Amino acid sequence: MSEKPETPNIFDPFGMMKQMRDTSMENWAKSMTEFVNSDSFTAVQAETLNAWLATSTPFRKLLEDTLRQSMQALQMPTSQDIVRLAERLTNIEMRLDDMDSKLDQCLESQDRASEG
Amino acid sequence: MNETVNETMNSSSAERTTPFEKVCHQWHQATKNLDVYNQLLTRDAKIAQTPKQLIWTLNKAKLYHYTPQVSEDQRHRIPLLLVFAVMNRPYVLDLRPGHSFVEYMVEKGYDVYLLDWGIPGPEDRELKYDDYVLEYLPRVIRKLKSYTRSNEFSMLGWCLGALISTMYASLRPDDGLKNLILLTAPLDFANKEAGGFTKWVNHPSFDPDRIVEAFGNVPGEMIDAGAKMLKPVENYVSNYVSLWENIEDKSRVEAWHAMNTWVRDIIPMAGAGYRQLITEFYKENRLMEGTLKLRGERVELGRLRANLFNVIAEADHITPPCQSEGVMDLVGSQDKEIFRVRGGHIGIMAGRGAEKSTWPHIDTWLADRSD
Repeated sequence: MSEKPETPNIFDPFGMMKQMRDTSMENWAKSMTEFVNSDSFTAVQAETLNAWLATSTPFRKLLEDTLRQSMQALQMPTSQDIVRLAERLTNIEMRLDDMDSKLDQCLESQDRASEG
Repeated sequence: MNETVNETMNSSSAERTTPFEKVCHQWHQATKNLDVYNQLLTRDAKIAQTPKQLIWTLNKAKLYHYTPQVSEDQRHRIPLLLVFAVMNRPYVLDLRPGHSFVEYMVEKGYDVYLLDWGIPGPEDRELKYDDYVLEYLPRVIRKLKSYTRSNEFSMLGWCLGALISTMYASLRPDDGLKNLILLTAPLDFANKEAGGFTKWVNHPSFDPDRIVEAFGNVPGEMIDAGAKMLKPVENYVSNYVSLWENIEDKSRVEAWHAMNTWVRDIIPMAGAGYRQLITEFYKENRLMEGTLKLRGERVELGRLRANLFNVIAEADHITPPCQSEGVMDLVGSQDKEIFRVRGGHIGIMAGRGAEKSTWPHIDTWLADRSD
């Protein structure tokens, strides 16, 4: 939705301010795009991500372990149990899809035979 | 919300007499506009309105058939399957009534089907491109062929959907695929300096394994932030400034709202698929090198024989043109054409000028090959 700035009208101070803003935003956008494509930004981004993962992962693991142990103590299914169940359901769905396809083929050949 | 916009526009035309009344009116209008602005940012627009029916599901994947709008004798014989990327919602192809690629193609007489990959859950963290290309897509096509009773079909893949479609077309050239349309297809990663993504993920410190190990599936917020960071000022500042400036322009507001609804609807990406995308494609460029294997089968682009229409966005900062061009020399298609459009990654199909700049060209190319 961005538009090219128009020619300034010296009798319209608000128009001139708007044009100045558009020009500065355009320059800002250009310099930021160059910055995020620079080698230094790429390196800093990758290292920051690594540092964050390194510090947050142990806490996340601790939370997951605590939750799993709590659910097991309460004799309730853990998220891993539900994941395993969902995986099995997907496998059953695939079998059903194959059977559905075979049924379609049978019906098609039956139709062709009756037409012939 | 639209009523509020209209009300605001009508009241702006009223005559004001004294300077005080004018200031009061401007204040009143600004508060109303602010309310509209707030609603636009927080509420969803009505999108994906073209009538359709669900004809197949498997796990999270769904196949939709759009209700034909023209009589059978005016319809093209070969059905069209739309395959979108795995990390965004596919309804960008059917954004809003009056501005929807799906609606346009249905009105042009195509029998249109849309594959929605769905939102991966924790149980899908091991899904890879091997599964998308050789498990899901063949089943979708099997269903499409039995539903339409047509042995031939056309396929349109966009972004990572184009990558999946290309691999399928190369691995299963005898499966009835007659026409393949690729939109902003990320296929060739030889140029490690092209585009921010390629540069970021090729840095030695960037380790997709650590991300997948931490999250399982890669969070949508992370993918979204990465995409927006490629043009930070445009995405985080200019976008909202221009909305405020055009807040009284109903058509612009509607377009912005629909697009923003789609942009905000972020989904995670299956962990194993993400790892494979970064390692085997972005880093090792295996597809173009001819070393890519899916479930033990080597993907040879030379085996792709379908008629090919490759649409490239000239100002694409997510998939730079060089990532889509190289495939033309490697495919085995006799009938192949490259088509360049001025615009960005999403804009060429969902932007305001798409119905004039992109859609008619796709229709013209496909119509000649769909009967």
